[in-house]
Amino acid sequence: MPTPSATGHSDTLIGGAVLMPALNEEAVIGEHIAKVREAVDLPVWLVDDCSTDGTAQCAAKAGARVIKLPARLGAWGATQAGIREAASRGLDFVVTMDADGQHNPRDIRALIKPVMDGECDVVIGSAPERGSTLRRLAWRMMRLTSGLRCRDLTSGFRVLNQQALSLLSGPRASYLDYQDVGVLLMLEQAGMRILEVPVVMPPRENGKSRIFSSWLAVASYMAHTLVLGTVKRSRPWSPQ
Amino acid sequence: MITLLSAVFGVLLAALLLFLVRRDQLHISHGLGWALAILLCALLGFAPSIFDAMATSLGVSYAPILGVALAIAALVIKALLTDIEISRMRVRQQRLIQKVALLEAELQEITGRPPIDD
Repeated sequence: MPTPSATGHSDTLIGGAVLMPALNEEAVIGEHIAKVREAVDLPVWLVDDCSTDGTAQCAAKAGARVIKLPARLGAWGATQAGIREAASRGLDFVVTMDADGQHNPRDIRALIKPVMDGECDVVIGSAPERGSTLRRLAWRMMRLTSGLRCRDLTSGFRVLNQQALSLLSGPRASYLDYQDVGVLLMLEQAGMRILEVPVVMPPRENGKSRIFSSWLAVASYMAHTLVLGTVKRSRPWSPQ
Repeated sequence: MITLLSAVFGVLLAALLLFLVRRDQLHISHGLGWALAILLCALLGFAPSIFDAMATSLGVSYAPILGVALAIAALVIKALLTDIEISRMRVRQQRLIQKVALLEAELQEITGRPPIDD
Protein backbone atom coordinates (compact mmCIF):
# COMPACT_ATOMS: atom_id res chain seq x y z
CA MET A 1 0.00 0.00 0.00
CA PRO A 2 1.35 3.44 -0.88
CA THR A 3 2.21 5.72 1.96
CA PRO A 4 0.56 9.05 1.23
CA SER A 5 2.90 11.64 2.60
CA ALA A 6 0.40 14.39 3.28
CA THR A 7 1.66 17.60 4.70
CA GLY A 8 -0.27 20.31 6.47
CA HIS A 9 -1.16 21.78 3.10
CA SER A 10 -3.99 19.60 1.84
CA ASP A 11 -3.49 20.47 -1.86
CA THR A 12 0.19 19.57 -1.84
CA LEU A 13 1.15 16.16 -3.15
CA ILE A 14 4.55 14.90 -2.18
CA GLY A 15 6.29 11.60 -2.63
CA GLY A 16 5.42 11.50 -6.32
CA ALA A 17 6.40 12.84 -9.71
CA VAL A 18 4.94 13.35 -13.16
CA LEU A 19 6.95 11.48 -15.76
CA MET A 20 6.90 12.27 -19.47
CA PRO A 21 8.86 10.47 -22.16
CA ALA A 22 9.37 12.88 -25.06
CA LEU A 23 10.67 12.85 -28.60
CA ASN A 24 10.73 16.05 -30.65
CA GLU A 25 7.90 17.83 -28.84
CA GLU A 26 9.50 21.30 -28.86
CA ALA A 27 6.32 22.96 -30.18
CA VAL A 28 4.06 21.93 -27.30
CA ILE A 29 6.19 20.74 -24.41
CA GLY A 30 6.66 24.08 -22.65
CA GLU A 31 2.97 24.86 -22.53
CA HIS A 32 2.10 21.29 -21.54
CA ILE A 33 4.54 21.29 -18.61
CA ALA A 34 3.21 24.67 -17.49
CA LYS A 35 -0.33 23.21 -17.45
CA VAL A 36 0.83 20.19 -15.44
CA ARG A 37 2.59 22.38 -12.89
CA GLU A 38 -0.52 24.54 -12.65
CA ALA A 39 -2.73 21.49 -12.08
CA VAL A 40 -0.64 19.65 -9.48
CA ASP A 41 2.17 20.46 -7.11
CA LEU A 42 4.44 17.66 -8.24
CA PRO A 43 7.89 17.70 -9.82
CA VAL A 44 7.82 17.06 -13.55
CA TRP A 45 10.48 14.76 -14.98
CA LEU A 46 10.96 14.76 -18.72
CA VAL A 47 12.91 11.88 -20.22
CA ASP A 48 14.20 13.14 -23.55
CA ASP A 49 14.46 10.20 -25.95
CA CYS A 50 17.30 11.74 -27.98
CA SER A 51 15.25 14.55 -29.52
CA THR A 52 16.79 16.40 -32.43
CA ASP A 53 14.96 19.65 -31.64
CA GLY A 54 14.91 21.86 -28.54
CA THR A 55 12.58 19.65 -26.46
CA ALA A 56 15.03 19.33 -23.55
CA GLN A 57 15.77 23.07 -23.41
CA CYS A 58 12.06 24.02 -23.61
CA ALA A 59 11.21 21.51 -20.88
CA ALA A 60 13.99 22.76 -18.61
CA LYS A 61 12.86 26.35 -19.19
CA ALA A 62 9.31 25.35 -18.22
CA GLY A 63 10.60 23.99 -14.92
CA ALA A 64 10.93 20.27 -15.62
CA ARG A 65 13.82 18.11 -14.49
CA VAL A 66 15.30 16.77 -17.73
CA ILE A 67 16.86 13.33 -18.05
CA LYS A 68 18.53 13.08 -21.46
CA LEU A 69 19.02 9.60 -22.87
CA PRO A 70 22.30 9.29 -24.78
CA ALA A 71 20.67 6.91 -27.31
CA ARG A 72 17.07 6.49 -28.47
CA LEU A 73 15.22 3.73 -26.59
CA GLY A 74 11.60 4.29 -27.65
CA ALA A 75 8.70 5.41 -25.48
CA TRP A 76 8.83 2.45 -23.10
CA GLY A 77 12.64 2.56 -22.68
CA ALA A 78 12.40 6.28 -21.88
CA THR A 79 9.53 5.74 -19.46
CA GLN A 80 11.40 2.92 -17.74
CA ALA A 81 14.40 5.21 -17.20
CA GLY A 82 12.14 7.53 -15.20
CA ILE A 83 10.55 4.59 -13.39
CA ARG A 84 13.99 3.35 -12.33
CA GLU A 85 14.82 6.80 -11.01
CA ALA A 86 11.54 6.95 -9.08
CA ALA A 87 12.07 3.46 -7.65
CA SER A 88 15.62 4.25 -6.56
CA ARG A 89 14.42 7.43 -4.84
CA GLY A 90 11.65 5.50 -3.12
CA LEU A 91 8.81 7.66 -4.46
CA ASP A 92 5.29 6.67 -3.44
CA PHE A 93 3.89 7.01 -6.93
CA VAL A 94 4.57 8.22 -10.45
CA VAL A 95 2.14 9.64 -12.99
CA THR A 96 3.15 8.76 -16.54
CA MET A 97 1.73 10.87 -19.33
CA ASP A 98 2.39 11.67 -22.97
CA ALA A 99 4.34 14.82 -23.76
CA ASP A 100 2.20 15.76 -26.76
CA GLY A 101 -0.62 17.31 -24.77
CA GLN A 102 -3.06 14.47 -25.36
CA HIS A 103 -3.53 13.88 -21.64
CA ASN A 104 -5.29 16.53 -19.62
CA PRO A 105 -3.26 17.53 -16.52
CA ARG A 106 -6.53 18.33 -14.72
CA ASP A 107 -7.25 14.58 -14.60
CA ILE A 108 -4.08 13.82 -12.62
CA ARG A 109 -5.63 14.29 -9.18
CA ALA A 110 -8.51 11.96 -10.00
CA LEU A 111 -6.03 9.32 -11.15
CA ILE A 112 -3.79 9.64 -8.11
CA LYS A 113 -6.57 9.39 -5.54
CA PRO A 114 -7.32 5.62 -5.79
CA VAL A 115 -3.60 4.84 -5.48
CA MET A 116 -3.18 7.18 -2.50
CA ASP A 117 -6.27 5.67 -0.86
CA GLY A 118 -4.81 2.18 -1.30
CA GLU A 119 -7.70 1.05 -3.51
CA CYS A 120 -5.36 -0.17 -6.23
CA ASP A 121 -1.71 -0.33 -7.29
CA VAL A 122 -2.08 1.00 -10.83
CA VAL A 123 -4.55 3.44 -12.33
CA ILE A 124 -5.09 3.78 -16.06
CA GLY A 125 -6.55 7.01 -17.44
CA SER A 126 -8.91 5.30 -19.82
CA ALA A 127 -10.53 6.69 -22.97
CA PRO A 128 -11.59 3.62 -24.96
CA GLU A 129 -13.94 5.63 -27.16
CA ARG A 130 -11.04 7.48 -28.77
CA GLY A 131 -9.49 6.39 -32.02
CA SER A 132 -10.74 4.89 -35.24
CA THR A 133 -12.68 1.67 -35.81
CA LEU A 134 -9.39 0.02 -36.78
CA ARG A 135 -7.78 0.97 -33.49
CA ARG A 136 -10.74 -0.47 -31.60
CA LEU A 137 -10.48 -3.66 -33.63
CA ALA A 138 -6.79 -3.83 -32.73
CA TRP A 139 -7.62 -3.43 -29.02
CA ARG A 140 -10.22 -6.18 -29.30
CA MET A 141 -7.67 -8.55 -30.84
CA MET A 142 -5.12 -7.62 -28.17
CA ARG A 143 -7.65 -8.31 -25.39
CA LEU A 144 -8.62 -11.60 -27.02
CA THR A 145 -5.06 -12.90 -27.27
CA SER A 146 -3.70 -11.59 -23.96
CA GLY A 147 -6.76 -12.23 -21.82
CA LEU A 148 -6.43 -8.72 -20.36
CA ARG A 149 -9.69 -7.13 -19.29
CA CYS A 150 -8.67 -3.47 -19.35
CA ARG A 151 -10.65 -1.49 -21.88
CA ASP A 152 -7.89 0.94 -22.79
CA LEU A 153 -4.75 -1.11 -23.32
CA THR A 154 -2.59 1.55 -24.93
CA SER A 155 -3.14 4.55 -22.68
CA GLY A 156 0.14 5.97 -21.42
CA PHE A 157 -1.72 8.06 -18.82
CA ARG A 158 -1.17 5.95 -15.71
CA VAL A 159 -0.35 6.13 -12.03
CA LEU A 160 1.99 3.51 -10.59
CA ASN A 161 2.51 2.98 -6.88
CA GLN A 162 5.78 1.95 -5.21
CA GLN A 163 5.24 -1.79 -5.74
CA ALA A 164 4.44 -1.30 -9.42
CA LEU A 165 7.49 0.96 -9.79
CA SER A 166 9.72 -1.65 -8.19
CA LEU A 167 8.37 -4.37 -10.50
CA LEU A 168 8.66 -2.33 -13.70
CA SER A 169 12.14 -1.05 -12.94
CA GLY A 170 13.59 -4.59 -13.07
CA PRO A 171 15.47 -6.20 -15.99
CA ARG A 172 12.49 -8.37 -17.01
CA ALA A 173 10.55 -5.27 -17.98
CA SER A 174 13.49 -4.19 -20.15
CA TYR A 175 12.69 -7.05 -22.53
CA LEU A 176 9.49 -5.23 -23.50
CA ASP A 177 9.30 -2.86 -26.44
CA TYR A 178 5.98 -1.17 -25.68
CA GLN A 179 4.20 -0.06 -22.54
CA ASP A 180 0.86 -1.72 -23.27
CA VAL A 181 0.11 -5.46 -23.29
CA GLY A 182 3.49 -6.70 -22.00
CA VAL A 183 3.57 -4.21 -19.14
CA LEU A 184 -0.07 -4.77 -18.18
CA LEU A 185 0.37 -8.56 -18.23
CA MET A 186 3.45 -8.23 -16.04
CA LEU A 187 1.54 -6.09 -13.55
CA GLU A 188 -1.48 -8.39 -13.55
CA GLN A 189 0.59 -11.55 -13.13
CA ALA A 190 2.39 -9.98 -10.17
CA GLY A 191 -1.00 -9.53 -8.50
CA MET A 192 -1.18 -5.76 -8.92
CA ARG A 193 -4.66 -4.30 -8.70
CA ILE A 194 -5.40 -2.28 -11.83
CA LEU A 195 -8.18 0.27 -11.98
CA GLU A 196 -9.40 2.23 -14.99
CA VAL A 197 -10.60 5.78 -14.47
CA PRO A 198 -12.39 7.43 -17.40
CA VAL A 199 -10.70 10.50 -18.86
CA VAL A 200 -11.17 12.55 -22.00
CA MET A 201 -8.31 12.50 -24.50
CA PRO A 202 -8.41 15.21 -27.16
CA PRO A 203 -6.52 14.68 -30.44
CA ARG A 204 -2.74 15.26 -30.41
CA GLU A 205 -1.66 18.89 -30.45
CA ASN A 206 1.48 18.11 -32.39
CA GLY A 207 2.67 15.41 -34.79
CA LYS A 208 1.40 11.86 -34.96
CA SER A 209 1.66 8.68 -32.93
CA ARG A 210 5.16 7.25 -32.57
CA ILE A 211 3.76 3.73 -32.76
CA PHE A 212 1.18 4.22 -35.50
CA SER A 213 3.46 6.28 -37.75
CA SER A 214 2.97 4.12 -40.89
CA TRP A 215 1.11 1.00 -41.99
CA LEU A 216 4.33 -1.00 -41.74
CA ALA A 217 4.84 0.24 -38.19
CA VAL A 218 1.24 -0.71 -37.33
CA ALA A 219 1.74 -4.23 -38.79
CA SER A 220 4.99 -4.71 -36.87
CA TYR A 221 3.41 -3.39 -33.66
CA MET A 222 0.37 -5.66 -34.00
CA ALA A 223 2.52 -8.73 -34.75
CA HIS A 224 4.70 -7.99 -31.70
CA THR A 225 1.76 -7.34 -29.41
CA LEU A 226 -0.45 -10.24 -30.46
CA VAL A 227 2.36 -12.79 -30.21
CA LEU A 228 3.54 -11.38 -26.88
CA GLY A 229 -0.01 -11.40 -25.50
CA THR A 230 -0.53 -15.00 -26.61
CA VAL A 231 2.72 -16.39 -25.23
CA LYS A 232 2.53 -14.52 -21.92
CA ARG A 233 -1.19 -15.07 -21.37
CA SER A 234 -2.00 -16.59 -18.00
CA ARG A 235 -5.80 -16.44 -18.01
CA PRO A 236 -7.54 -19.56 -19.40
CA TRP A 237 -8.97 -19.21 -22.91
CA SER A 238 -12.65 -18.41 -22.91
CA PRO A 239 -14.96 -16.57 -25.30
CA GLN A 240 -15.16 -12.88 -24.34
CA MET B 1 34.43 -34.83 -55.78
CA ILE B 2 32.09 -33.77 -52.97
CA THR B 3 34.64 -35.11 -50.46
CA LEU B 4 37.33 -32.86 -51.92
CA LEU B 5 34.98 -29.85 -52.05
CA SER B 6 33.96 -30.29 -48.39
CA ALA B 7 37.58 -30.59 -47.33
CA VAL B 8 38.69 -27.51 -49.32
CA PHE B 9 35.72 -25.50 -48.02
CA GLY B 10 36.56 -26.56 -44.45
CA VAL B 11 40.21 -25.57 -44.78
CA LEU B 12 39.36 -22.20 -46.36
CA LEU B 13 36.79 -21.42 -43.69
CA ALA B 14 39.23 -22.39 -40.93
CA ALA B 15 41.80 -20.03 -42.44
CA LEU B 16 39.21 -17.23 -42.59
CA LEU B 17 38.34 -17.81 -38.93
CA LEU B 18 41.93 -17.64 -37.82
CA PHE B 19 42.34 -14.46 -39.85
CA LEU B 20 39.26 -12.89 -38.22
CA VAL B 21 40.49 -13.79 -34.72
CA ARG B 22 43.93 -12.38 -35.58
CA ARG B 23 42.36 -9.12 -36.82
CA ASP B 24 40.17 -8.80 -33.67
CA GLN B 25 37.02 -9.13 -35.76
CA LEU B 26 35.90 -12.29 -33.96
CA HIS B 27 36.20 -13.12 -30.28
CA ILE B 28 38.32 -16.18 -29.56
CA SER B 29 35.42 -17.94 -27.76
CA HIS B 30 33.25 -17.71 -30.90
CA GLY B 31 36.23 -18.56 -33.08
CA LEU B 32 36.83 -21.75 -31.10
CA GLY B 33 33.21 -22.89 -31.49
CA TRP B 34 33.26 -22.27 -35.22
CA ALA B 35 36.67 -23.93 -35.57
CA LEU B 36 35.34 -27.09 -33.91
CA ALA B 37 32.24 -27.11 -36.15
CA ILE B 38 34.34 -26.68 -39.29
CA LEU B 39 36.80 -29.35 -38.19
CA LEU B 40 33.89 -31.75 -37.74
CA CYS B 41 32.53 -30.87 -41.21
CA ALA B 42 35.94 -31.44 -42.81
CA LEU B 43 36.36 -34.79 -41.04
CA LEU B 44 32.92 -35.90 -42.17
CA GLY B 45 33.78 -34.73 -45.68
CA PHE B 46 36.84 -37.01 -45.69
CA ALA B 47 34.87 -39.93 -44.29
CA PRO B 48 31.44 -39.95 -46.00
CA SER B 49 30.97 -43.58 -45.04
CA ILE B 50 30.07 -42.37 -41.51
CA PHE B 51 26.92 -40.78 -42.97
CA ASP B 52 26.11 -43.93 -44.94
CA ALA B 53 26.31 -45.99 -41.76
CA MET B 54 24.23 -43.43 -39.80
CA ALA B 55 21.62 -43.20 -42.57
CA THR B 56 21.28 -46.98 -42.73
CA SER B 57 20.83 -47.26 -38.97
CA LEU B 58 18.26 -44.42 -38.98
CA GLY B 59 16.41 -45.80 -41.99
CA VAL B 60 17.21 -42.83 -44.26
CA SER B 61 17.34 -44.09 -47.83
CA TYR B 62 19.34 -41.15 -49.29
CA ALA B 63 22.38 -40.68 -47.04
CA PRO B 64 23.60 -37.20 -48.21
CA ILE B 65 20.31 -35.59 -47.18
CA LEU B 66 20.99 -36.65 -43.58
CA GLY B 67 24.13 -34.48 -43.61
CA VAL B 68 22.19 -31.55 -45.06
CA ALA B 69 19.38 -31.94 -42.50
CA LEU B 70 21.85 -32.11 -39.60
CA ALA B 71 23.71 -29.06 -40.92
CA ILE B 72 20.46 -27.06 -41.20
CA ALA B 73 19.44 -28.11 -37.66
CA ALA B 74 22.86 -27.05 -36.32
CA LEU B 75 22.62 -23.68 -38.08
CA VAL B 76 19.09 -23.04 -36.78
CA ILE B 77 20.23 -23.82 -33.22
CA LYS B 78 23.22 -21.53 -33.66
CA ALA B 79 20.99 -18.72 -35.02
CA LEU B 80 18.63 -19.14 -32.06
CA LEU B 81 21.49 -19.03 -29.54
CA THR B 82 22.80 -15.90 -31.27
CA ASP B 83 19.36 -14.23 -31.00
CA ILE B 84 19.15 -15.12 -27.30
CA GLU B 85 22.55 -13.54 -26.76
CA ILE B 86 21.57 -10.46 -28.78
CA SER B 87 18.39 -10.08 -26.67
CA ARG B 88 20.47 -10.22 -23.47
CA MET B 89 22.95 -7.71 -24.83
CA ARG B 90 20.16 -5.38 -25.95
CA VAL B 91 18.64 -5.39 -22.47
CA ARG B 92 22.05 -4.83 -20.89
CA GLN B 93 22.72 -1.97 -23.31
CA GLN B 94 19.30 -0.40 -22.68
CA ARG B 95 19.77 -0.50 -18.91
CA LEU B 96 23.25 1.00 -19.22
CA ILE B 97 21.91 3.82 -21.42
CA GLN B 98 19.23 4.52 -18.79
CA LYS B 99 21.81 4.43 -16.00
CA VAL B 100 24.14 6.83 -17.83
CA ALA B 101 21.23 9.24 -18.40
CA LEU B 102 20.20 9.14 -14.73
CA LEU B 103 23.76 9.60 -13.47
CA GLU B 104 24.37 12.47 -15.91
CA ALA B 105 21.16 14.19 -14.79
CA GLU B 106 22.23 13.85 -11.15
CA LEU B 107 25.77 15.00 -11.91
CA GLN B 108 24.43 18.05 -13.72
CA GLU B 109 22.25 18.91 -10.72
CA ILE B 110 25.20 18.62 -8.35
CA THR B 111 27.94 20.27 -10.42
CA GLY B 112 25.99 22.27 -13.01
CA ARG B 113 28.16 20.68 -15.68
CA PRO B 114 26.38 19.87 -18.97
CA PRO B 115 26.31 16.24 -20.16
CA ILE B 116 29.43 14.93 -21.90
CA ASP B 117 29.08 14.95 -25.71
CA ASP B 118 29.04 11.59 -27.49
